[in-house]
Amino acid sequence: MNIINNAERVFVSRETQAARIINVLALFALIGVLAGSLHLQLGVGEQPCPLCLIQRSAMIGLAIGPVMNLLWGMKPAHYALSILAAMVGGAGSTRQILLHIADPNDPGYGPAVLGYHLYTWAFITFAVAIVGCAFMLLWNKPFEAQDTGLRFQRSWFRIAALTGIIWVFLDLLVIGISVLPECGLGMCPDDPENITGAGDVGGWLVVLSIGLLAFAIAVAIVSDRKVLKPRTQST
Amino acid sequence: MMFSMFVLWFLVFVGIFMRRTWVPTLAIAAMVWTLVLLVLHMSDPIPLNF
Repeated sequence: MNIINNAERVFVSRETQAARIINVLALFALIGVLAGSLHLQLGVGEQPCPLCLIQRSAMIGLAIGPVMNLLWGMKPAHYALSILAAMVGGAGSTRQILLHIADPNDPGYGPAVLGYHLYTWAFITFAVAIVGCAFMLLWNKPFEAQDTGLRFQRSWFRIAALTGIIWVFLDLLVIGISVLPECGLGMCPDDPENITGAGDVGGWLVVLSIGLLAFAIAVAIVSDRKVLKPRTQST
Repeated sequence: MMFSMFVLWFLVFVGIFMRRTWVPTLAIAAMVWTLVLLVLHMSDPIPLNF
């Protein structure tokens, strides 16, 4: 703990810090969406359809922007990558929405959450992400500060940011590995059979344990003096 | 096929952690590959007169 408290303080402009907070919040919002889908898969036992996997892939792509902003520094190109990923995900979710509204008797795929199916929530997420990135691009100050990222800072905020980054990475590993038993190395079935899940509570425990593991890794990284050598003084 | 999509994202993350310059290029490649897989899964036509 002393290592963290006695950390070298690197001056960061107020605008850059605000942009970092927004990026971390965006990252945790994405984690929330991914956690919901993982709970449905690992807890309820609802296997993801091919279009669901496309949207999950785009969600991971969406996270690339905030992750790069936090680790490499604020750059317009990072937001551009998130916008492109949101366009890809939007295409996937639009396709799925259209498939299910084309037939009025179609109840939709999977259970509804707060009145909407997950692919509708995914479409809303991608749309909000595009608007959010556009607003962040309108804000020049964080880019002018020549931010180099929070990689070499020690603080509780850095632990929170690293937890989010590692959590997304662990989610990616879980999603990627769970594709193998469902689809193998080929194409996925259009309507995969459900599996026996860990149950409602069990599913959330699995999701929570991924987050706790991410937090533990983040604390270990920030506490390790060998990993953390203050490199540069940013503005 | 679907698995490869996540392998690409895994490599993108590794690239970010290692601060590699090829990360944006690989990220765009992963997005294009995701779109290709989306098109490959478009087996049912959607009627536009609903």
